[in-house]
Amino acid sequence: MEKKSISFGTRPKDPLRRRVWRDIRRDWRRYLMICIMLVATIGFVSGMYVANNSMLNTLSRNVSALNREDGHFTLSQKADSSVIDAVESGELPEMFGEDEDFEPVPVTVYELFYKDTAEGLAGKNGSTGTVRIYGERRDVDMYDILDGRAPGNENEIIIDRMHADNAEIKVGDRITADGEEFEVVGLAAFVDYSTLYESNTDTMFDALTFNVGMVTDEGYERISAPEEANYAFTYVREPADEYEEKEMSDSFLKVLFAQTAVSGCEGLEITDFVPAYANNALNFAEDDIGKDKAMGGVLLYILTAVLAFIFAVTISTTLEQEASVIGTLRASGYSRGELLRYYMSAPLLIVIISAVIGNVLGYTVMKDIVADMYYGSYSLPTFETLWTPEAFIRTTVVPIVLMLVINVIVITRALKLSPLRFLRHDLKRTKRKKAVRLPRWGFLHRFRLRVFLQNIPNYIMLFVGITFVMVLISMAVGMPETLSYYQDSMGDMMFAEDQVILKSTADENGDTIITSADGAERFSMASLERKSDVYNEEVAVYGVEADSRYVRIGECAEGSVYISKAYADKYGVGDGDTIKLSEKYEHKDYEWKVQGIYDYSAAVAVFMEREQLNEVFGRDSGDFTGYMSDEMITDIGREYIAKEITSQDMIKVADQLDKSMGAFMVYFQYVCFIVAAIILYLLTKIIIEKNERSISMAKILGYGNGEIASLYLIPTAAVVFFSEFLAIYLGFKLMEFFWRLIMMKMSGWFAFILPFSGFVKEFLLVFAAYVIITVLDYMRIRRIPKALALKNME
Amino acid sequence: MSQNDIAFLTVKGLKKSFGSGDTRQEVLKGMDFTVGRGEFCVLLGPSGSGKSTLLNILGGIDSADEGEISINGDKLAEMDEKSLTRYRRRHLGYVFQMYNLIPDLNVKENIETGAYLSDKPLDIDELLKILGLYEHRYKLPNQLSGGQQQRVSIGRAIVKNPDILLCDEPTGALDYNTSKEILQLIEEVNKKYGNTIIMVTHNEAIKQMADHVIKLRDGRIRHDIVNTEKLSAAEIEW
Repeated sequence: MEKKSISFGTRPKDPLRRRVWRDIRRDWRRYLMICIMLVATIGFVSGMYVANNSMLNTLSRNVSALNREDGHFTLSQKADSSVIDAVESGELPEMFGEDEDFEPVPVTVYELFYKDTAEGLAGKNGSTGTVRIYGERRDVDMYDILDGRAPGNENEIIIDRMHADNAEIKVGDRITADGEEFEVVGLAAFVDYSTLYESNTDTMFDALTFNVGMVTDEGYERISAPEEANYAFTYVREPADEYEEKEMSDSFLKVLFAQTAVSGCEGLEITDFVPAYANNALNFAEDDIGKDKAMGGVLLYILTAVLAFIFAVTISTTLEQEASVIGTLRASGYSRGELLRYYMSAPLLIVIISAVIGNVLGYTVMKDIVADMYYGSYSLPTFETLWTPEAFIRTTVVPIVLMLVINVIVITRALKLSPLRFLRHDLKRTKRKKAVRLPRWGFLHRFRLRVFLQNIPNYIMLFVGITFVMVLISMAVGMPETLSYYQDSMGDMMFAEDQVILKSTADENGDTIITSADGAERFSMASLERKSDVYNEEVAVYGVEADSRYVRIGECAEGSVYISKAYADKYGVGDGDTIKLSEKYEHKDYEWKVQGIYDYSAAVAVFMEREQLNEVFGRDSGDFTGYMSDEMITDIGREYIAKEITSQDMIKVADQLDKSMGAFMVYFQYVCFIVAAIILYLLTKIIIEKNERSISMAKILGYGNGEIASLYLIPTAAVVFFSEFLAIYLGFKLMEFFWRLIMMKMSGWFAFILPFSGFVKEFLLVFAAYVIITVLDYMRIRRIPKALALKNME
Repeated sequence: MSQNDIAFLTVKGLKKSFGSGDTRQEVLKGMDFTVGRGEFCVLLGPSGSGKSTLLNILGGIDSADEGEISINGDKLAEMDEKSLTRYRRRHLGYVFQMYNLIPDLNVKENIETGAYLSDKPLDIDELLKILGLYEHRYKLPNQLSGGQQQRVSIGRAIVKNPDILLCDEPTGALDYNTSKEILQLIEEVNKKYGNTIIMVTHNEAIKQMADHVIKLRDGRIRHDIVNTEKLSAAEIEW
């Protein structure tokens, strides 16, 4: 038959494209939840990465921009310029003869004198601590003014911004130093004090009672407190790596000793020497900021896995809901590729929109929140926000690629089914051959059981989701619990009540320093590193008395040592294993067989007998590093003590740990709770949606909303209830694993602790969330129309 | 064959069964027939006679266990999944009993989903007028009556000007008057565009408007009749 009078048109653009936005509008709740989750993940984590990276970059850049010292030394008095010139040459004095192995280390030495004096607020009684006042800095260890300006006259001062915050001092306030009044005209971050350590031997920094300030040279003269002859130095030739830096530092110290000894200046002695690599004031903040990245990285792993799960669940639900449309389009001739592209469009759009919002938030609000946390702990300079490719890749590219891959896999797999199967809503790959016979229960009980059996795949999905929720809540609840556990028990983790590390074992007369403290024992100490690709861990090596009352290890066989429980737990090392440790700044390794685990959880440490340690490290057999005792050691002069650690110091360490990590945990808690609530919402929504037709049919048959709710919600509630028990355990175990990952990237070890109350809290939180969601589900059930069961059925 | 001497569609020895073992059920037990180009062919039979299964196999959305289907010389059995999709895209239009419209696309857009599949689709506005839907073109499916939705469904199938229009109980969900309107529309489409139409129905009256009637029972062809006393859709009654 001839076709007659036919008018042809043009091929339209793909009308399905127009449907993409409508799809999003129709299912806006689900997409909104996914959007919130993505924005939270991308925003929070990229904010953290960006702040972290930008801050570390700024600190690193400031080393040269603000000419940070390569070290400093303090002399008992100001040295003549001839001495300084000799020191700067880096050469040993001639009288020391030729040393072929010695490499001269020329340096530039700068006077960086200061005066430590009491600080107070003008017009108020009492002291706010100690302020270390420098004259005007011009060449070395410069500063960044965060607020205000540099001092212009003798009555003006700039002080450390962190201390100013803690002591509530603002620009324009007046403070007193050594009784002299100064107007604070600026708040600054000094490049050599990113962490406010008054002395490098302090166990912990103190930004509350220690301050650093700078005045004009005239202002400096106004202060009559004794002056410390402190000199900063920089190497003329930059060391290539940390090993060379250590070698150069050792050589320079040798020169310094030699040159001061031959100077002829009476009483000229070195009272302090701190190379940059060992200076806590320079390194602590940087190290700590690096730790946050490890925590953020693990959170990102978890969230990425959650996202993958949500994407998979969402797309499979969409395909089920769209079965008729897909069947019709496929039957009409739409190719799998066309449908794949179409069904990818809405999720892809949402991910891209979320990524844009997340990144904008990450680079603005979230970055500032994280930066504020850093500013709350350390004296940091103004940082310039840097484009952080790592953040973008890990928080944005990875979720987008993940979503694409999961969608491609799920959709492609589903589209392998014939169009007919879609038209018949027959998307299950495995078919149940016979109906399960049920016990002779009442009808409603059997109905519920049928609902349960029908929904087993959905309940498995719900269980997986709840496990993710539990991981997140374990993180949110467990991390602060872990910290507080260690804060509470840190004081008990001392070997002895008092532990003194000596500068030298002999006093000025050459006599061995002794103590009469009851039960005091000598010990030797060394510091090594456990090197790995992930993190180089500093390991304390203790040599204790053979029958020590404080560290009860057995006799060590040759080449064998004991390791702390923390070491064993962190690195999974046990009896009979071999451990390998290295010198931090030398290419020298040590291998020992583990003879036993010593129950000590406060540090990653190795124990052996003192004699053995002295032999291993080539020290005299009677050599020792200090004393430990349960009775406070009070009879050793302060001038001989390099460091004293009491239980109070350990508590300080724990408090500081809380300060540096605690803020992040609160930050993480928010993300975890938001994501957990969204997962629960999405999953229970899906369960109701998957049962919409049955619910609609039950309505047609005359069942009321309450009856339907009891039929469909009770099995789900029971599943949630019982899933919680298993999921809590699995969540905890997974969190232990993730915690290990975090700890592997930082020094020390503490096991992840979740007390029983934490488990109860988790259980109740999830169940309470479920109860709220059940109310929403009931409302969803009420909204399901009767007509649904009659529509679109083949 | 009636209107055309050349067999456009040839079915030979077609068999299809479902299930396995004890539950195996043979739905098509060996079918042979031909349909000419431009013919209006009705597959008639009671429920379970295999007519929908046959239509699905003809449409390439289900496969036969045995036998051969050749459409305009192309053998369906020799086509892989991609070729079948291409085949459906170029040559077939589907009309389902339950319309299966895309709920959030309006009338015109639903028809465009069909037009998009063709390089040379029919003029959509003209088609909308023929379908009596021009005034409703911006309405969503849920704003239309069942008959109007089925018109959209026919429009979506016909807009790409397919060689064969497969209709699976297109009036099954409609009342008498609406059913007659739809039948008139299909008749008009057949006349105007010259498509071969294969319609599955259990409504005996519809056979009166067909060129060719194939009656099925228990998976076999009971009668393969050329209708020489064809009535128009307006004339038939049931």
